[in-house]
Amino acid sequence: MSTETNTISLKIEFGGGLELLFSNQRSHRVTIPSTVPVDNNTSLTKGAAASATRPADVTYLLHHLRDHLLKERQELFMENGTVRPGILVLINDTDWELEGEGEYLLKDGDEIVLISTLHGG
Amino acid sequence: MSCENPSVDKDALMARRPKFDKTKQCVKCKERTGNIVIRHAVYCKSCFFPLISTRFRKSLEPSVNPTPDGPRRKALKASGSLLVGLSGGLGSTVMLDLVTKTYFGAPSVTHIGEEASPLKLKGGKEHPRNMTGKDSEIWRGVPAVCYVEVCGAFPGAEDRTERVRQVVESYATTSLSSKFDFIPLRLEDAFDLEWWKRVGGGSLASSAQSLGMDMTNESKSLYSFVLPKLLIQKFTGLLFSSLPLSTPTLALQTYLSSLPTQTAIHSATQTLVRLLLLYTAASRRASHVLLGTSLTSLSVNLISGIAQGAGFSVAEEAMEEWRRDGKSGELTPSIRIVRPLRDVGIKECAIWAWWCGLRVVGRVRYLGGTQGIDSLTRDFITGLERDYPATVSTIARTCAKLTPKEGCDGVCLLCERPAQHGIQEWKSRTSTRSYNDAPSSSSGHGRPPHIANATDHPQHQPEPSPSSHLAPHLCYACHTTLTSRSSRGNVKHTSNSKVAPLPLWVGASRSLASTPEDSLGEVWATHRMGDGEMKAAIGDLLLNDS
Repeated sequence: MSTETNTISLKIEFGGGLELLFSNQRSHRVTIPSTVPVDNNTSLTKGAAASATRPADVTYLLHHLRDHLLKERQELFMENGTVRPGILVLINDTDWELEGEGEYLLKDGDEIVLISTLHGG
Repeated sequence: MSCENPSVDKDALMARRPKFDKTKQCVKCKERTGNIVIRHAVYCKSCFFPLISTRFRKSLEPSVNPTPDGPRRKALKASGSLLVGLSGGLGSTVMLDLVTKTYFGAPSVTHIGEEASPLKLKGGKEHPRNMTGKDSEIWRGVPAVCYVEVCGAFPGAEDRTERVRQVVESYATTSLSSKFDFIPLRLEDAFDLEWWKRVGGGSLASSAQSLGMDMTNESKSLYSFVLPKLLIQKFTGLLFSSLPLSTPTLALQTYLSSLPTQTAIHSATQTLVRLLLLYTAASRRASHVLLGTSLTSLSVNLISGIAQGAGFSVAEEAMEEWRRDGKSGELTPSIRIVRPLRDVGIKECAIWAWWCGLRVVGRVRYLGGTQGIDSLTRDFITGLERDYPATVSTIARTCAKLTPKEGCDGVCLLCERPAQHGIQEWKSRTSTRSYNDAPSSSSGHGRPPHIANATDHPQHQPEPSPSSHLAPHLCYACHTTLTSRSSRGNVKHTSNSKVAPLPLWVGASRSLASTPEDSLGEVWATHRMGDGEMKAAIGDLLLNDS
């Protein structure tokens, strides 16, 4: 649980081989601001105020993962501001398509799972 | 009415439609909130597992009995044993899981998490859950899982055999009854006499053991274009002793490096894997080979197959029967190649694997590079599935309605699928030209710079005997795989040898041994026509210039 009210603590899990892009580590804990810049800029230092903000959503989280956790080959993770086709997202064990996809507003303690289907079938 | 500009007027954009119909409630139980969207329909987690399991059984069970008599589970009785093809990829891992849980007594999804001892029988001994792999009563003998390791083709690639073995053996620990024979193969086994003997392959003449194809012998003409002929050369001892192709691995690498495009390398690898599985299945008297091709992968295979000239065998992509050449011409029992996940998309497979905690080893998918037809098709279909999920199943359903117009003309030597009738005749009528065919002296036009210095092919090559041509024994797709060049994406030829080895089953084929000239006493030959000869042949039909 986050100790500050202006941050959100999340549990992130990778599956289906996607963890290979993230230090080969399947489970991560990340903390992101509860309000984020509308342009999804994740490089703002703590305390620096963005001109326009919005509540943190999954789209921002994806940018955060790309900018801070991804170790290699970002083209295999994101495309056109969202996850690449073939990557599934579960929000609290539910398909993100039922939760509004990238527009889902994150809550403290949410569990986000990203699974790659690009590993063959 | 004017056209709005969406970049200026935000109202001009249509509101994004949700990916699911109506409500978030499960369409099956109509009680619980849904967890997953499958082609616009919402399912909860409890209804998801029986949904997938039912689709799997509906695809598989009608083809279990030699003659279909309905999908009744109690009446299921196969004529032979079972072989499961496991690539280590997502689809085949999920399929193995479904096979063990449905037919071989591994704890089903509803039992995962329960603390019942696997040794304590729950239900009668006739219950499918309590049957062992040996007496599942559907398939005979012990079921087998076969894995083909492809790292031998590409130096530096990881060998995943042991990791796949662990996946297979994990089922024996969860349930004593789901014990499979694990058969690890290697791609180079296709060129290995030891493997050929192990699977009971017919005896090969010493010449046939070293069959090769000459990739450089291309007969071309300006008008009647006989497509590049593949000449089988019988050069005993040349490939496997004189040349440094002393090992099956080198033979495999030479074979793949002789192929003209990245697409061809991928396609040839798929064919080798498929035939390795089939010959292994035949050696175990299997009646069924199960492959983990998901609906998504099936659609990719269909589209890319058609793009590569395999339209004639569209039906075989979904379901096929293969029969091995008997040693003395007798009919051997046929083997059914079934893809029981052909109605289950890759998304459902991924969710199944995640919720069941399956370990997916992964597989090397694009051995020839990412610019091949298959790779590009997969990118396209994956994007299509995300944006328009129903269209992917439409591809498979539409292709299932297709039937070839032409009849079958035997079996292709390389892929052992039906070959289209009259391919050679059709090809001989096709007029195809390349810059290399046009000598600059006769046309008066210079060649493009990139081939300006290319040397012409020798004009007088010795014509091989028609019986030594491989081309008439190939289907269109295999012929294209071996010969079709691309203006870009050509692979670098690492081998200096003009002759590439062929898989062993090509040499063992009886159709190659008995050619028309042998059986009928006639010799059929196609030869290149010169300008004068051609003019004389059609002279009566030509109009005067005046």
